[in-house]
Amino acid sequence: MQVLVIPDHRAPVVTQMVWFRVGGVDDPPGISGLAHFFEHMMFRGTKANPNDTFSQIIAKNGGETNAFTDHDYTAFYEQIAKDRLPLAMKLEADRLANLDLSDAHVTPERDVVMEERRMRVDNNPQALMSEQMQAALHMSHPYGRPVIGWAEEVRRIDRASAQDFYNHHYAPNNAILVVAGDVTPDEVRKMAQDAYGKVPARELQPRAENAEPPRLAESRMVIKRADARVPVFSRLYRVRSYSTGRPGEAEGLEVYAQQLGGDQTATLYRVLVEQKKLATDAGANYDGNARDAGEFNVYAVPRPGVSLETLEKAVDQVLAASAANVPGADELQRAKTGLVASVTYRRDSQMAMATAYGQALTIGMTVDDVNEWPARIKAVTGDGVRKAARSLSRNYAVTAYLVPEGGK
Amino acid sequence: MKRFLLAALLTLTALPAVAADIQNIDLGKNAQVWFTEDHTVPIVSFNISMPAGSAYDPAGKAGLASFAGALIDEGAGNLDSKAFHEALANKAIGFSARAERDYLVISVTTLSENAPEAMRLLQLALTRPRFEAEAVARVRTQIIQSQQQSETQPPAVAGKAFMRAFFGGHAYAHPLTGEIGTISAITAGDLKSFAHSHWVTHGIKIAVAGDITRPVLTKLLGDTFKPVSNQAVAGLPDVGRLGAPGVHVVPLAVPQPSVVFGLPGIMRADPDFIPGYVANYVLGGGGFSSRLMDEVREKRGLTYGISTSLASMNKASVLQGSVATRANAVHQTVQVVKDTMAKFAAEGPTQQELDDAKTYLTGSFPLAFASNSGTAAQLGTFQRQNLDIGYVARRNSLIQAVTLADVKRVAKRLFDPARLTVVIGGTPTDGAQPARQAPRPPVRPMPLPAPGKPADKPVAGPVTGPAKAPVTNPVTVPEQALGAAKKP
Repeated sequence: MQVLVIPDHRAPVVTQMVWFRVGGVDDPPGISGLAHFFEHMMFRGTKANPNDTFSQIIAKNGGETNAFTDHDYTAFYEQIAKDRLPLAMKLEADRLANLDLSDAHVTPERDVVMEERRMRVDNNPQALMSEQMQAALHMSHPYGRPVIGWAEEVRRIDRASAQDFYNHHYAPNNAILVVAGDVTPDEVRKMAQDAYGKVPARELQPRAENAEPPRLAESRMVIKRADARVPVFSRLYRVRSYSTGRPGEAEGLEVYAQQLGGDQTATLYRVLVEQKKLATDAGANYDGNARDAGEFNVYAVPRPGVSLETLEKAVDQVLAASAANVPGADELQRAKTGLVASVTYRRDSQMAMATAYGQALTIGMTVDDVNEWPARIKAVTGDGVRKAARSLSRNYAVTAYLVPEGGK
Repeated sequence: MKRFLLAALLTLTALPAVAADIQNIDLGKNAQVWFTEDHTVPIVSFNISMPAGSAYDPAGKAGLASFAGALIDEGAGNLDSKAFHEALANKAIGFSARAERDYLVISVTTLSENAPEAMRLLQLALTRPRFEAEAVARVRTQIIQSQQQSETQPPAVAGKAFMRAFFGGHAYAHPLTGEIGTISAITAGDLKSFAHSHWVTHGIKIAVAGDITRPVLTKLLGDTFKPVSNQAVAGLPDVGRLGAPGVHVVPLAVPQPSVVFGLPGIMRADPDFIPGYVANYVLGGGGFSSRLMDEVREKRGLTYGISTSLASMNKASVLQGSVATRANAVHQTVQVVKDTMAKFAAEGPTQQELDDAKTYLTGSFPLAFASNSGTAAQLGTFQRQNLDIGYVARRNSLIQAVTLADVKRVAKRLFDPARLTVVIGGTPTDGAQPARQAPRPPVRPMPLPAPGKPADKPVAGPVTGPAKAPVTNPVTVPEQALGAAKKP
């Protein structure tokens, strides 16, 4: 178990996060959603702390606890008074070693997850569109499967599949402990040895090495929904990530996304919303924090009366201009300023700090990678941004229109 | 694990470190300023509340306060919209406004070296807003589209219909962001006149936390607010009868309807507020620990999250809850809520539940003060509830003093299922049960507010959490927004 400590002595509280190198990509074939479902089961009790005792003990000690699952990782956390950190560690160590999975817990929790899916995805046309786009973008890689799982497959989860998942993936040798807050590294080392040192290592199921075949053409989809009231244009590109990119490549994409669509001063908003008056909103995002491919998203919402075809053409003109010309010096500087400042703002929050480092370590980066990120962002040149713009290939993209049914 | 339980019985008495050190700064001009100084991280957070919430919307202009707030960064003085946004982005200043019922809440987060520039822009925005035709038209369309998108979102549909039913004709009843019709009717003149009369120092509340010294801040705020009008805003009318007992349905073809339910609450100044706050924690405010979460989620798997909160505004208080479940389990879920509530009203909490509630509510209090932005937000919340500067230091002892008899008495007063107003956004398929009383004003489907949507733009700087929007369990933030509506 790797341990990272981020001291912050402003308040007598700590944030403990335990990150596991397991996530949605590790769902067995046919049982998408198992990793996320299993995250829920971690709150369902051990022999020593049955049922919801874990949450109850944290709460009655003035703490907060929760967890989240993504494709590459699963993380559990507690925020609590510093003198309760040993308690939080003992509880985490207990469920790491002694989880008690019973049918009486699996069945209602599966219903809970189905409700979670309805809330996050099935009730929301934009979330449904995004889920369909991901599935179309990744032809073979499990990044195409929703972390929450397809409803038809979540229904298949049973006690045995959950138990297998636990046995294969949950062990201290698959975990990274991050503690931020009013502690010193020496204190944490001792506490962690006391709590987690007793939990035996386990033989892990090796993570699948996923490859992606080349894409030969763009995918396009038109999603017509009665519950959509406003049309949306969205395009999702498969791109390099911090793991798969050459040095500087992900940083170039990061600055490009900010300059192209990070806020209201960015190119897409300025051109499509303010100048051409074709859109009411437009932007771009880059997610490069992944073990495998990253994703680059461009989206726009048309003004009433503007067709999605017209809007897409205008977006493409902006993208083409970015591939042809380097950005203006002031635009480039502004984008970099925002990204670099985000690192200072992050220092205000134990949770944000623990998340940034925990996520990076879990996907295979180092503490130095995180610490040096602002310098690498500052080093991105206009030409680096243009290269990033040129690297976006329509063959590696899914373009979607969300269309209110019966309308346009 | 027995010893863990024993350890838990010890009372947590830790107070936020800042409690002893909240300073008052006298700006004059009927303004209140609270300040905590900390130089660990080079940023300063401002949380500024003006008497300019949606309750001040004039008749026929519902959404005016929120619309004006959404335009706060859209141009002022010699800066047009583009120039204003660039000035913010060039210094990575986070600057946003969101309308609540009573207040417009402005959040400014800045690197400490840029605090003077942030305050210069704030002063411009407050005193010389441009409300230019281009920006007004653009933001108007954004608000309307956001309302259209919400028309099919059950939580928004149910939430909006609940406020209508619960508050009847009062100024709290209409959607924060107005209706498509009223938003369409608002002119640049309306916006200018509203900002002029309501963006004032009279009754303003300012909370500041972070890397700045008292003398520097005092001068900066004094200069910033010097030209801001000190004209008092006319008060709001009192609320008459609260609630519309019964079950109201706003039909909507969705897989998972939302249910919003509520009862008359307890005013913040009422001595029963703190016992009521503790009672609410046990019934539905305590996240995974609450009785409702246990009955509805843990035991029956009916929902991903259920919560209640005791929300106190200047003129009314509402005990409000929400839950979402599949269409064929809606009435079943409502019945479980009512039964759980009735039992709690009749019996109150156990001594153990009361003890656990106290250790959570007191022990988790310092978590709200672990960051500059958290501290400013928490102090701002207390200011808007008209509490005094000593409240932070006093608050945990008030909770400690609550007795079992207090909570039982207040639970009986609060949680009467017969008075419950229930609004379902969606179409239940598990067989309607007749409302206990005929629904009062019929609740119709209407265009939706996306609470705070256009005004609530993301702060430019802070980046939190993984970018892929990971799937999470419900989280409770009871202290962060004491009195504000919360949802897992």
